[in-house]
Amino acid sequence: MNASGAGAPRKNIAIAGLWRDNPIFKQVLGICSTLAVTNLVLNTIVMCVALIFTLSLSAATVSILRRFTPRNIRMMVETLIIAFYVIIVDIILKAYWPEMSRNLGPYVGLIITNCIVMGRCEAYGISNPPVPAFLDGFFNALGYSFVLLIIAIFRELLGMGTLLGYPMPYFSGPYWDKWIIMVMPPGAFFMLAIVTWIFRSIQLAQEKKSK
Amino acid sequence: MRQKRWFPIFYMFVATAFFSSIVIGFTQLTSEKVKASEKLSFERAVLSVLPGLYREKMNNSELHRIFIEQVTEPDELSAGAYTLRQNGKTIAYALPMSGQGFWAPIKGVIGIEADKKTITAIAFYQQNETPGLGAEIAKAAFREQFKGKVISVGDKPLSIKRPGMELGASDVHAVTGATQTSTRLENIINSALTNWRHQLNKGDVAK
Repeated sequence: MNASGAGAPRKNIAIAGLWRDNPIFKQVLGICSTLAVTNLVLNTIVMCVALIFTLSLSAATVSILRRFTPRNIRMMVETLIIAFYVIIVDIILKAYWPEMSRNLGPYVGLIITNCIVMGRCEAYGISNPPVPAFLDGFFNALGYSFVLLIIAIFRELLGMGTLLGYPMPYFSGPYWDKWIIMVMPPGAFFMLAIVTWIFRSIQLAQEKKSK
Repeated sequence: MRQKRWFPIFYMFVATAFFSSIVIGFTQLTSEKVKASEKLSFERAVLSVLPGLYREKMNNSELHRIFIEQVTEPDELSAGAYTLRQNGKTIAYALPMSGQGFWAPIKGVIGIEADKKTITAIAFYQQNETPGLGAEIAKAAFREQFKGKVISVGDKPLSIKRPGMELGASDVHAVTGATQTSTRLENIINSALTNWRHQLNKGDVAK
């Protein structure tokens, strides 16, 4: 799956992270947070920014340390590095944006266990130079983010009739019966399945055409 | 270098020490800020339940100044509630409350008029309920229901009823789809009120 080997052109890394090997609908990683934070668009945006920061920097750091890190303890070191960046994000949110910190609650801390981060560090960061590793992390996080945003937009709109907390015409009006289930956990499963289905069908059609 | 047995342990030790010291330093740097913002959100909640003090566009230092100037810290007379007094006369009480919500603790403040029976407002400064469901308790639409409700004399001072049910003088409607949060919130409010009433009565008897 990991098509972007050492020295691969940067464009390849971007395409792989965003589309070909997209973490959500292709690698199916980091699903827990996808289900948890996508009920409001604002929460999702903050979560995605936090993930972009964590993933790109921890992949780069893992890559910088890759020549010194003993192989048998590499995963401990990776976890340590990831936790370090996540705690930094958590502290920044607590100090400068307490409302958001309260909204996201435990989910920021849970980025540490987000499989995408560990997955990219293991699959790419540990065996590639820092700059490609940083880009790989960045584009994978971006790939994760855009899928999450699509899910979040539909969930908030259908479930609450708002976007970013602002009431939307029609959807917040009396003719729209809010689908409460969309903001509850089951709604996330439905949306994720539909999004995965659509994107994979497009991918499949593309592959067939190119043959 | 890599063959040495102690090397992985040493390496892990150094790496941990390095990264934790940065985190610790960072926490120290921001701890003041975190504490201040926690205190401010409490003060904001207290002011918002007391009549005539809260304005929507108040900056933090203004908020803090008004809190210091106007609000009296809890004393024996108020039985644990913050009070707003003018010329020695109590105008309203702000009773802090806290307890376990569905996911995490809920902390808030109930405002009560000088008659010790009528609710002026309710506010939350910490809650972590499900966004879009339980978290709606912090929104104005839910909180405004409490204004003017009367604390009933029975063992359930206030009741949160299912949406659509008929409401009495001390009932409000729950948030749709947030049964757990509502039940817990009802307990938190009622235990705070019961406790307060108990304390007040004790004070009266002692006089």
